[in-house]
Amino acid sequence: MSFLLPKLTSKKEVDQAIKCTAEKVLVLRFGRDEDPVCLQLDDILSKTAPDLSKMAAIYLVDVADTPVYTQYFDISYIPSTVFFFNGQHMKVDYGSPDHTKFVGSFKTKQDFIDLIEVIYRGAMRGKLIVQSPIDPKNIPKYDLLYQDI
Amino acid sequence: MAPPQRCPLCRQTFFCGRGHVYSRKHQRQLKAALERFLPQVEAARKAVRAAQVERYVPEHERCCWCLCCSCEVRKHLSHGNLTVLHGALLEHLASPEHKKATNKFWWENKAEAQMKEKFLISPQDYARFKKSMVKSLDYYEEKEDEVIKEMAAQIREVEQSRQEVVRSVLEPQAEPDPEEGSSAPGSRKGTNSQVASSSQQPSFLDLPPAPELDWMEPGQPLTFIGHQDVPGVGNIHSGATPPWMIQDEEYSSGNQQIGPSYEEFLKEKEKEKLKKLPPDRVGANFDHSSSTSAGWLPSFGRVWNNGRRWQSRHQFKTEAAARNKQQPHKETS
Repeated sequence: MSFLLPKLTSKKEVDQAIKCTAEKVLVLRFGRDEDPVCLQLDDILSKTAPDLSKMAAIYLVDVADTPVYTQYFDISYIPSTVFFFNGQHMKVDYGSPDHTKFVGSFKTKQDFIDLIEVIYRGAMRGKLIVQSPIDPKNIPKYDLLYQDI
Repeated sequence: MAPPQRCPLCRQTFFCGRGHVYSRKHQRQLKAALERFLPQVEAARKAVRAAQVERYVPEHERCCWCLCCSCEVRKHLSHGNLTVLHGALLEHLASPEHKKATNKFWWENKAEAQMKEKFLISPQDYARFKKSMVKSLDYYEEKEDEVIKEMAAQIREVEQSRQEVVRSVLEPQAEPDPEEGSSAPGSRKGTNSQVASSSQQPSFLDLPPAPELDWMEPGQPLTFIGHQDVPGVGNIHSGATPPWMIQDEEYSSGNQQIGPSYEEFLKEKEKEKLKKLPPDRVGANFDHSSSTSAGWLPSFGRVWNNGRRWQSRHQFKTEAAARNKQQPHKETS
């Protein structure tokens, strides 16, 4: 599944993708190819990528290749998916503590498609943060660990 | 002549008075009508002995026309999502109003007396029907319970096999990750034991909640890759500059010019807009860079609505002279 999606292997490539993807939602999956939850997520991404080709561009990034981004986005759990539109980071309120990225895998392809559509529409209207259409039951739960607390 | 009377069976008006009822036509109609009604009653009578209970289907809303009472009567008796076949018809046939109506019908239409009994259900028969209905209802409930229990057993089996697969996959992975945060393996063990205990419980009702919890606290929990906390350097939550906005040292000065690329961008926007217009509109291939001369409008001889003829002729001659002067110039050049 992960061989079906394009990969970005350096900070420069990621920069390029962020700056050059125009009028489409940019989806960056930060994770590792062998991790089981990443595999589930990659499966969903690769199956929906052709259908969403006009609305979204999907790329995979290994967390080991881009420590700058891993650290900037505070990626402690993998997989984490970050969304951009026209070079601007899009935040989504999933009902989870972290709005800057989606942690874990989606339950169904339809969830992911709905989320991309909501982000696209919000971005077209000029919104930088949108409300997630996914049922809170289907959002993976995780503990946000704070250092030194 | 007798006053006009309408015979509902033949659906015609007759002037023969009471004599019509004895006519061949009427008797024929009567026979046909009774023959149509008889099978329904016979089916209902059979149900007296052995009542059948079935799951409700919209088809059970069908009505049947009772000839004697001339009204629509429901055939089957439904309540909730169960139906007793022929229940409502039997109830109607056993009712005293139907008996009275049947007697009236027989007297008015002069039908055969032996046939009358066939269309009536005695109260004793109705009581017998009620008893058999209760019995078959119980039997139906038992059958449904059995089906539900079978389904539950099946679901339990499938869950078990799935759990085993998951466990067998996770075991080899557990060893190579000794540095996982304390929460992750702890929560995994907790979920596994919870699921194992719930699958061993025999009651059916506990099964739906357990699979749901499975998803929310994933059986394969998210991999933890350590706190991304480098002191001194901000991250997205602290509002630091994003890495893609930070200029790299490798960037050449040429790339930092945004002039031409911005113009290119605008041109691209214009082109996109033009693409949306229909390709065979007028002037689609108009060359905007060509120059136009003063005489670009076609001349129709300058015919005006007022003024004299010699004025337009004069104008035409001037223009023709100017055009002719232009042409030899062009030819020589």
